[in-house]
Amino acid sequence: MEVSVEKQKALALSLTGRVLSENMLTNYLWVIPLGMGFVAWELITRLNLVPQANLPTFSGVLGVFFLSIQQPSFLLRIAHSFLNLSLGLMLAFATALPIAFVAGSKNKFDLTFTPLIMLFGALPDLSFLPLLVLWFGAGSVAAVIMASLAGFFPIYFTVRDGTRNIPKELFEVTSVFKSNRLSTFTKMVLPAISPHMFSGLRLAYDFGWEIIIAIEIATRAAGIGSFIEGSVSGGSLDSGFAAILAIALVAVVVDRVFFGSLESWAKKWA
Amino acid sequence: MGPHVELENVSKFYEARDKTHALHEVSFGIDHGEFVTIVGPSGCGKSTLLKIMAGIDAPTSGEVRFQGGPVRGPHDKISMVFQGFGLFPWRTVLENVEYGLEMRKTPKPDRRARSREYIEMVGLAGYEHMYPKQLSGGMRQRVGIARALAVEPEVVLMDEAFSAIDEVTADVLREEVADIHKETGKTFVLVTHNLSEAIELADKVVVLSSRPAKVKKILPISLERPRDRTHSLFVHMHHDILHLLKEELENTLIRHKLREIREVQSLHDMEAPKKETPTRERSNSVAAASSPSKANAIREETI
Repeated sequence: MEVSVEKQKALALSLTGRVLSENMLTNYLWVIPLGMGFVAWELITRLNLVPQANLPTFSGVLGVFFLSIQQPSFLLRIAHSFLNLSLGLMLAFATALPIAFVAGSKNKFDLTFTPLIMLFGALPDLSFLPLLVLWFGAGSVAAVIMASLAGFFPIYFTVRDGTRNIPKELFEVTSVFKSNRLSTFTKMVLPAISPHMFSGLRLAYDFGWEIIIAIEIATRAAGIGSFIEGSVSGGSLDSGFAAILAIALVAVVVDRVFFGSLESWAKKWA
Repeated sequence: MGPHVELENVSKFYEARDKTHALHEVSFGIDHGEFVTIVGPSGCGKSTLLKIMAGIDAPTSGEVRFQGGPVRGPHDKISMVFQGFGLFPWRTVLENVEYGLEMRKTPKPDRRARSREYIEMVGLAGYEHMYPKQLSGGMRQRVGIARALAVEPEVVLMDEAFSAIDEVTADVLREEVADIHKETGKTFVLVTHNLSEAIELADKVVVLSSRPAKVKKILPISLERPRDRTHSLFVHMHHDILHLLKEELENTLIRHKLREIREVQSLHDMEAPKKETPTRERSNSVAAASSPSKANAIREETI
């Protein structure tokens, strides 16, 4: 008995070890096609396959990018957009999580409210924009509300499904060991739904960026979106591209660092 | 001193959708340190009975008493082992075993030490920091047993604790549970559909009838331990219980047939202008009998 237990333990350890070292390599495979894409871009513009008035060279964009990120006003614009997005997502999370949890656990509530929520979800969020601008002006308030609308649905549906999928037995375990309502929620429900919740948050984050940029372009409200619009319509495409590059960088870094760490925690046990 | 745990006329109806009558006036007593196993036809309400004993489900009428006092909710001295193990996958072995103590606000160093003690008892020393998904079914149930014991209960309830584990592993684990029972002197109650398992572990086997479950028979088992499944008395016991359960199955079938006959009769009585309604009723009642809605009912209550 003891020997087999030791063996199993060694096997489990060697398995996790191998998975880790494989991940180290495969985690960075995406660099190859990305680099190839940049090289192709540079070649296409250098060979004048596309006129440089329509597509600046990659090296030119990179140059402008490094100049831009040294300017406080440029960084402030990115920070502004990012702040609007973050506030919107927090609002979405704070409203969607409790409603979705109740919908996932109480059938009657689900039948009453989920169809309505689906109806709203089916509407294109941007169609509310003119109204929000009318009510709150073309500024951060409208942007935050729009981002929270866009983020609400992915969070709502993933959390609701996650709650539904919690095995009944786990609720019985919390009852037998006399867990109160609060600790049942924080120590059982939240971790149990977290893998679902994380994918909902990530989707909300992606949708949110799109909405924020679209709003800033449409309303010319402060932020990085209006900067892109201004640059492109003013003819300085390289500035526009540099701004897009900056957004991509922020988006990827947050995705990797924030969602990456959340998901690697979930991967350990799920 | 009276029985450690006592069930008196425990009945259970489920209100949800169809009024299922799950338990009918179940009464028996369990002595201090006794190992009682409960067997019955599948779906008869054995697990419901155990949940009522655990205080996480309430009887419609009747009472469960622990040391003379009524059980009206989860009790500090009554713990449970689950069929699907009921482990939290995001917690390590140690953290899972600590859960019950954590809910009791036992100070951390204390609950660490106590949990390690029980992890050792179930033979999982060295696995403290592994996650359930890294363990085999048998090892997971060891964690479930350690968690149940760590809160130092006087009664350990086991709901089909070995049925999700492969036969050989289950056999080893059963022997260990028998040892733990002997060492700790705690009262054990195991619900199972495995008759050999029931006889092997029990001081007495409670045989329930089909739904609504009543106590059909209580058989004391006085065979010497460790028990030999090939012993002639063991084989006899097994045969007797099997016979009782088969009888129950037949009764159920007869009841179903009778109900069908009655329904056909009433259909005739109505002289068939509304043919639709009775036939639909009939198919409903058959469906209800084969798929009890107890899962839903419990889900709604526990949340």
